[in-house]
Amino acid sequence: MTPVLELSAVTKEFPGNPPVRALDGVSLRIESGELVGVVGASGSGKSTLLNVVGTLARPTTGEIRLEGRDIAKEPDRVLAGLRAARIGFVFQQFHLVAGLSAVDNVATGLVYRGVSHRKRRHASAEALDRVGLGNRGEHRPNQLSGGERQRVAIARALVGDPAIILADEPTGSLDSRTSDEIIGLLLDLNTQGATIVIITHDHAVADRLPRRLELVDGRIVSDRQVAGVAS
Amino acid sequence: MRVRNGCPRSRMRRTDLLRSGAQGLLSRRARTLLTALGIAIGIAAMIGVLGISSSSKAALLARIDDLGTNLLAVQAGQSIFGDDAKLPEAAPAMIRHIPPVEQAAAVSSVDASVRRTDLIPSSETGGIAVTAAEPEVLDTLQGAMDEGRFLDEATTAAPAIVLGSVAAERLGITDLRQGPMVYLDGHWFNVIGILEPLPLNPDLDRAAFIGYDVAKQLFDTKANATTIYLRTHPDQVEGVRSLLARTANPQAPNEVQVSRPSDALEAKAAVDANLTRLLLGLGAVALIVGGVGIANVMVISVLERRSEIGVRRALGAKRSHIAGQFLTESIMLSMLGGVTGVALGAAVTRIYATRQGWLVNIPTEALAAGVGAALVVGALAGLYPAVRAARMDPAEAVYPTG
Repeated sequence: MTPVLELSAVTKEFPGNPPVRALDGVSLRIESGELVGVVGASGSGKSTLLNVVGTLARPTTGEIRLEGRDIAKEPDRVLAGLRAARIGFVFQQFHLVAGLSAVDNVATGLVYRGVSHRKRRHASAEALDRVGLGNRGEHRPNQLSGGERQRVAIARALVGDPAIILADEPTGSLDSRTSDEIIGLLLDLNTQGATIVIITHDHAVADRLPRRLELVDGRIVSDRQVAGVAS
Repeated sequence: MRVRNGCPRSRMRRTDLLRSGAQGLLSRRARTLLTALGIAIGIAAMIGVLGISSSSKAALLARIDDLGTNLLAVQAGQSIFGDDAKLPEAAPAMIRHIPPVEQAAAVSSVDASVRRTDLIPSSETGGIAVTAAEPEVLDTLQGAMDEGRFLDEATTAAPAIVLGSVAAERLGITDLRQGPMVYLDGHWFNVIGILEPLPLNPDLDRAAFIGYDVAKQLFDTKANATTIYLRTHPDQVEGVRSLLARTANPQAPNEVQVSRPSDALEAKAAVDANLTRLLLGLGAVALIVGGVGIANVMVISVLERRSEIGVRRALGAKRSHIAGQFLTESIMLSMLGGVTGVALGAAVTRIYATRQGWLVNIPTEALAAGVGAALVVGALAGLYPAVRAARMDPAEAVYPTG
């Protein structure tokens, strides 16, 4: 079966003197239905990896295959289409639109697919149900707690049923109890079939995930399936 | 979702483009209103200028129409030697023989001054021109009496005088109740009438009219007309005009001046057009300043909304979607100002014109042009910010700290 994501010898350099090599020969495969944690200290290349995998940045060398398609050299409009259809993002800062209700915020996840407003709202109500916020659809972000906001953001990422969800420090702005709840939610979604990559610097978070990659100076130094964690 | 070459395509509905623009404006209401105000003022100024000048012109033209453009005046000009020329005595009769001429009447200046009493020195004429007039002058000029009556066959030889509106005012005669008299170089004349103002011939408002017979008898006035006024058939004005000089003075047609009094009023309407152009230019400057304001606000908005741009790119927006969103926002902002400005300008015109007693006349083209100008200004102002937003690196935009 084709892996959802496959990286071979991916490097990413940023111009400078000397150039900064944020990713240094990263190769990895993520199969459909996996839940992968990427841990590493600040500056280890986690965010760059997420940007490159999420097609927000291009690798300097190497190959990235999303569902078998090499995307390293595709033009921007193709990448935009892939992001709209196949990739979901969750950010540390939630990045919700302050003026919109939870339902409408989730619905923005479908705007660039050309889905009608009515269908978007219908789908986003379902997605909110899946993250346990079915009854808060009409609340605005400032009427929601931090954990609830992140649930809205997760619903926005999964509303289009993407091939992969990329979460960058999804618990970074939350207290430890809320953080546990959010990781619990991502684990639940994973058992329902979603493929998820979580970037975190928090080992307590990573310890709960079934597969853990450790990044140091742009290189993968360990990649292991953790025993005793439900997958 | 549409797929091309096995690849999903990013696409955005037009309604979503409009919605995203409206969202951007609604989330910063005070800024939106103040920025739109700049455009509104520019557009309102332009619409107001156009509306007021057009209403005023319409009023003036309606008045000219009312007064008739078929009035012509034939005057003695100057000979080739620079002397004052004279019209032949037969000129009025000759002119009346031109078929399309409906009415004609002659007036001659009288060498006399008019004073309230014999105690006032004769040098103080008050600028009033004593004029011998045929009784038909009133009808030909379509004048009306404010008081009393005009000269007629019975009074042409009598010491009777009719005052133009300004002349009466200068002599201090407002009504005929006391049987007022005026003094003309040794002769007392009864004031038998006061004219209403003559809009087409304001020079005659300063005249005092006496009969030809009495003028000849007392002041030795010659029968040569100074000016002959005539009305032609409205469709034949130009034809008659070209014949008048030769008809009035066949020997020396070049010594005859022919004029159309309504031309002076039409020239006034044209002069107004120059002023209108100037004021329109000022309105355009205000509009451009408003456009610069929009560009400025949009640039700030792009910088403030880096993370929104990043998120939208992550959600699948193409560069063109981002550019389109900011361009739409800019145009909507400008259109908000434009529509407000058109409404404001129309309201100002309406109030002003109504106060002046004019019919409100705002050219539809001006309203359309106002909205169109706002559209163009919004598009131009939004271009640079939109391109800037589209070029933003999505990875940097979404993670402000890098």
